Amino acid sequence: MKILVCFKAVPDLDMMSDDDWVVDCELNVDISFVKAILNCFDESALEMTLKLSESMEGFNAPLNLTALTIGDKRKDSFLKTLYALRFDKAVRINNYEDIRFMPEVVAAVISKYVREIAYQDVIVLGRQSGEGDNAKTPLLLAEILGWPCITQVVKIELDDSASLKVTSMADDGILTQTLRTPCVLSVGNTPNSYMRIPTLRDKMKYGKTPIEVLDIESFDINPIVNTCKNDCELLSLKKISNNREGFIIDGRTPAEKAQILYDLYLKERLEEL
Amino acid sequence: MPLTREQIVEGLIEILESEKIITDEQVLKESSIDRFRKYEDINGVYTQPIPAAVVNVESTEEVSAVLKFANENTINVVPRTGRSATEGGLETALENSIVVDGSGMNKIIKIDTYNMQATAECGVSLEELENRLREQGYTTGHSPQSKPLAQMGGLVATRSIGQFSTLYGGIEDMLVGLEAVFPNGKISRIKNVPRRAAGPDIRHIIIGNEGALCYITEVTVKIFKYMPENNTFLGYTLDNMKTGFEILREVMVNGYKPSVARLYDPEDGAYHFSHFAEDKCVLIFMAEGPKAIAEATGKAIEDIVAKYDECKKVKTQYIKKWFNHLNWDPAKVAEERVEIMETQNLGFTTEVSGTWDIINDIYEVCIERIRNEIPDITLIGGHSSHSYINGTNMYFVYYYNLVDIKPEEEIAKYHYPIQDIIVEETLKAGGSMCHHHGVGKHRTHFIEEEYQSSYHMLEALKKSFDPKGIMNMGTILPIKSK
Repeated sequence: MKILVCFKAVPDLDMMSDDDWVVDCELNVDISFVKAILNCFDESALEMTLKLSESMEGFNAPLNLTALTIGDKRKDSFLKTLYALRFDKAVRINNYEDIRFMPEVVAAVISKYVREIAYQDVIVLGRQSGEGDNAKTPLLLAEILGWPCITQVVKIELDDSASLKVTSMADDGILTQTLRTPCVLSVGNTPNSYMRIPTLRDKMKYGKTPIEVLDIESFDINPIVNTCKNDCELLSLKKISNNREGFIIDGRTPAEKAQILYDLYLKERLEEL
Repeated sequence: MPLTREQIVEGLIEILESEKIITDEQVLKESSIDRFRKYEDINGVYTQPIPAAVVNVESTEEVSAVLKFANENTINVVPRTGRSATEGGLETALENSIVVDGSGMNKIIKIDTYNMQATAECGVSLEELENRLREQGYTTGHSPQSKPLAQMGGLVATRSIGQFSTLYGGIEDMLVGLEAVFPNGKISRIKNVPRRAAGPDIRHIIIGNEGALCYITEVTVKIFKYMPENNTFLGYTLDNMKTGFEILREVMVNGYKPSVARLYDPEDGAYHFSHFAEDKCVLIFMAEGPKAIAEATGKAIEDIVAKYDECKKVKTQYIKKWFNHLNWDPAKVAEERVEIMETQNLGFTTEVSGTWDIINDIYEVCIERIRNEIPDITLIGGHSSHSYINGTNMYFVYYYNLVDIKPEEEIAKYHYPIQDIIVEETLKAGGSMCHHHGVGKHRTHFIEEEYQSSYHMLEALKKSFDPKGIMNMGTILPIKSK
């Protein structure tokens, strides 16, 4: 079974201080000085796929894992890590265009890769990235390909050589479905979100495998980019303040503090329940 | 006949109010260790003797009474404040110890801006003191990564050092005077004077004693004018650590005093600087102080680095961003626990020092040996972060995947072998096995080799100040089997 995991490396916005959120005359905020990290949902997707692959060890149904990202050369370090974690192929679609808010473009590129370059049985992606927060790519991709899409996936297991058992969070509970491939899986809030770390030896041994680099120009994205640009226009940009109020309860004893907490903050709320 | 746990608690109740004596089982278990055993802690496995009680002292007199009781009954006492120790110094190595927690002694006693000194109880957090000082335009100049957690007593007891040490020095350069309690209950004060030549400097018996001689209850440190508006950041990428050490040396030898002078190797640097320095070493400086001095220091460093073709300057924004996220706060500690559990990947550090002529060799041989000898290593790298006229430190950073082990086997399989390579090679080269974390309980098997012919002085201190052997036994000096 061929599985493609698409991921995005995003700026670590926790490194931005309040003073850094300065909007320039072109309505941009400079985030070039912060480190890139794996988008958390994509990190879960990658680890989930590695676990699936691990569970297959010893079975006569090998998985072929490909990792794909869109971006410039700075993303290669993530792909090298994935090689060290025994991904079979790492692909970067070279791009300098700002497509953060164009999930249509991302979905078009991935679909074209799958249709025309390397067919896949399953595509796994994080549900959204903290950068664009579009939450559209998996659904758009499934629509373009005409494949079923399961959202809020939290676990993937192999059912047989052509079907998967997929656990996902639904509005009213946890859903486990068995589905035939091909399919798109959109990974949501999983219990575990960190990806494993490769050993130095595996980094040395596998991390230097050449990354397949394709140019985004060859994906003919200009018409979609133009449509996206015409669809909406950014008029202004301002930081939304999410500050929370804090209050230190002062009391001589824990009992006194608990009483103040109850009287001022809990009593009324509990009575409403 | 040693006292039972119950008798110890009964004895403590006669000294302190009962609410200050904690016997909750989980608290006791968590108080048997420090961050050296973080993997055991995360897994809820506690292999050390569980203390009889944790006592929350609130005054020097209470410390004195507890120590006197412990001394009379030969009960091991483990002093602690902010609990950020990383080398086993807070482990209760003997059965039925008493953990004496001074974090409740948290009053800032005096900020004296005329004489430029601040006095604080042992449980004052450095961050709180620093914030109070900065509000008034002053600073301690002390900024270890543990600043959000560490408290003044522990910082002095472990001979700590901060990120601005190249300008301000380590805690030993900052400490003016102090108050400490010895095992027999004797309260001793060392007065706050600019300098003295009245015999040996007895502050140094107490600084770095790691709770193995006495309990520090109050400290007075120097303060400095705080002028962050003059801070000058400089950052460079380069290819070789050897070049970086040469540059650090040249800066120091020529008499410049940047507050920050750090050199990262590519592996350690990748964790912080992968977005601008992939596979490169990174050299960082910060100059501070009065504008003219900060500017002149910055300019001189730029001139020195310019002579080395392999150094490429990076935008200062990168360095500022990195610097603002260096410290370990409680949120970061909590996040680390989750990450360890999920990835089964664990990281530690070991810090050593050496003169300029040996430091690069220590760095190279340790990295090579650990890479080749230790299984499941995922990262081995390091940085120099504290430089002096005659040498610098090397702070080794290492991570490993935990493969096929029980929580209690982690230290023997991974941590000890790595630490021992670093210490062995450093001692062999003539360096010091501890730069700023303290000895704790896990490097004690090297202590004689560290001290060599002066070891008898260390032993004499222990025998003299703690004759009954009740102060944090197993720390600095190993427990000798009877």
